[in-house]
Amino acid sequence: MNDWIWSIKSLARRRLRTVLAVLGIAISAAMLLDMVMLSGGIEKSFADLLTAKGYQIRLSPKGTLPFDTEATLPAAESIIRRLRQDPAIAAAGAVLGASLYGRGRDSLVTLFGYGIQPEGQGLYWLQAGSDLAPSDTNGVLLSSAAAGLLGAGVGDTVRMVGRLDPQVMTGSVDRKLTVRGLVHWVYDYRGQPSVGTVLPVMQMLAYGHREDRASLILVKAERDGHAPALAATLRTRFPDLEVYSVADLVAVFKQRLVYFRQLSYVLGTMSLIVSVLLISTLLTITVNERLAEIVTLRAIGVARSTIVRQVLIESAVLTIVGGATGLVLGLGTARYLDSILTSFPGLPAAFSFFVPRRESVGTAAVVLLSAGCLAGLYPAWVAARTPIAATLRSEAT
Amino acid sequence: MSSSILIARNLHKDYPMNGAAVHALRGASLDVRACEYVAIAGPSGSGKSTLLQLIGGIDAPSSGSVELLGTRLDALSDRELTRLRLTRIGFVFQRFHLLPVLTARENVELPMSEAGRGRRERRDRASELLAYVGLGHRADHRATQLSGGEMQRVAIARALANQPALLLADEPTGELDAATGMEILSLFRRLNQDGTTLVVVTHDEQLAAEAGRVIHMLDGRIREPRP
Repeated sequence: MNDWIWSIKSLARRRLRTVLAVLGIAISAAMLLDMVMLSGGIEKSFADLLTAKGYQIRLSPKGTLPFDTEATLPAAESIIRRLRQDPAIAAAGAVLGASLYGRGRDSLVTLFGYGIQPEGQGLYWLQAGSDLAPSDTNGVLLSSAAAGLLGAGVGDTVRMVGRLDPQVMTGSVDRKLTVRGLVHWVYDYRGQPSVGTVLPVMQMLAYGHREDRASLILVKAERDGHAPALAATLRTRFPDLEVYSVADLVAVFKQRLVYFRQLSYVLGTMSLIVSVLLISTLLTITVNERLAEIVTLRAIGVARSTIVRQVLIESAVLTIVGGATGLVLGLGTARYLDSILTSFPGLPAAFSFFVPRRESVGTAAVVLLSAGCLAGLYPAWVAARTPIAATLRSEAT
Repeated sequence: MSSSILIARNLHKDYPMNGAAVHALRGASLDVRACEYVAIAGPSGSGKSTLLQLIGGIDAPSSGSVELLGTRLDALSDRELTRLRLTRIGFVFQRFHLLPVLTARENVELPMSEAGRGRRERRDRASELLAYVGLGHRADHRATQLSGGEMQRVAIARALANQPALLLADEPTGELDAATGMEILSLFRRLNQDGTTLVVVTHDEQLAAEAGRVIHMLDGRIREPRP
């Protein structure tokens, strides 16, 4: 008689109770999985987002994080020139972020502008049309949201307005630009109307005159593994700037999200405790109901270890079935919650809170299975230690 | 005359109850020879089931000794005693205590599986035993699908699974109607004729009368051995 089949048959004796317990375990397992995905997923998603275009290092004004404030760094061209001369650097590009406006069909539309250097950009993927040439001061790239608001497509002309005076609703800078392409901006939130021009054009729109400033500089190391060492070198070379590797930014991000992670640990632990209590309670009740059977087995010579094994297998069966159901439930719940959370304004659309990684699923499974076996220990101990003669006597009366 | 396979000497068993000791056995001694059929009879509370549990190694005496096939039970560890019960003793209980989720065959196979016997051997032996107790056609029925008499016959087949030297039965007809009880009596008679040593605890005079020797118990003592 296979031990596993025996266990499954035993659990099937009280079908409704077993199904309810499995559901309870599944819900706890789903919550545990979601919390495990959440605790590591945000960092993973953030790191993936930062390296989406292969740029591993960011330079930003002293005391700031990239795009965290409106501060800009001066002499951007000179910095870029120096960076590009470094043989350890594969590419470097400055980015200026600015608020500007576009003239729609009958009104001004608020836009977010990226000033970029097309030869060293780490911000977008071209979706339609063509990319900007480095010297293209008449071209513009639009996100699909911006294209929709402006009613423009590839080849159309759009008017961009910078330094808008809110009193008279006219800008001091007004440029006609031709749409070269539609792009997907990596760091845009869902539906963000963004446009991109070469850096000098965006500097004109932002300041009203050509000012050699940038919000940050992106650097791609020749080799991925050399990025931390390169970041350290750049820190020495540019003491007036903040130099961040992806690992540095993830560490800062992690620090900012520490409460979030603590919350996920607490909720994950609670769901695990609920699982343990559920399994333990169910099996203790089951064992107590089957005491006569268990002592009979002991009386006819079945070893304590067999009884313990049997109860632990029942615990494992409950955990495995509940865990597998919980996996499906957890992934579904994570997808749903992710769709809600990533629709918050200001969050990059490509960002995910719940990242289903093999490690997180594996961790949740191992933790749950261990907890399930742990939960079976007490009822197994009760079953194995039940006195045979006394129980048979009480059964007979 | 064959030698004794079971020798119980001066067995006492006390149970604590509400701070006082209940003397369930007060110096019972018993010898059982191979192929003997012994009935232990007496009223409720006379200590007969306690005696059966002590000679079966299910419980330990407060004092006295039990020797089965030359082995003193008090010299064995819990693990050794469990193994002895598995391989040398067969038990039949009043309430059958089959595993309800298993079939008749799986219930009979269970002690053999625990003893480490191979699948084919277990299956063949279970079929043989179920046929012996007249339940070959019910082998694949779950215990819950069997009648009381059938369950007790499966329990007897289970007790015989590892070819024990001694079969102990505690009120084996206690839960059965008269006609079904007669079937069990007849099965025990046949078992004994085929060489099984039997010790049966009963308050059923008819069942006791079937035995080759009847031991009467009262107040924890053996009253009189009757040939």
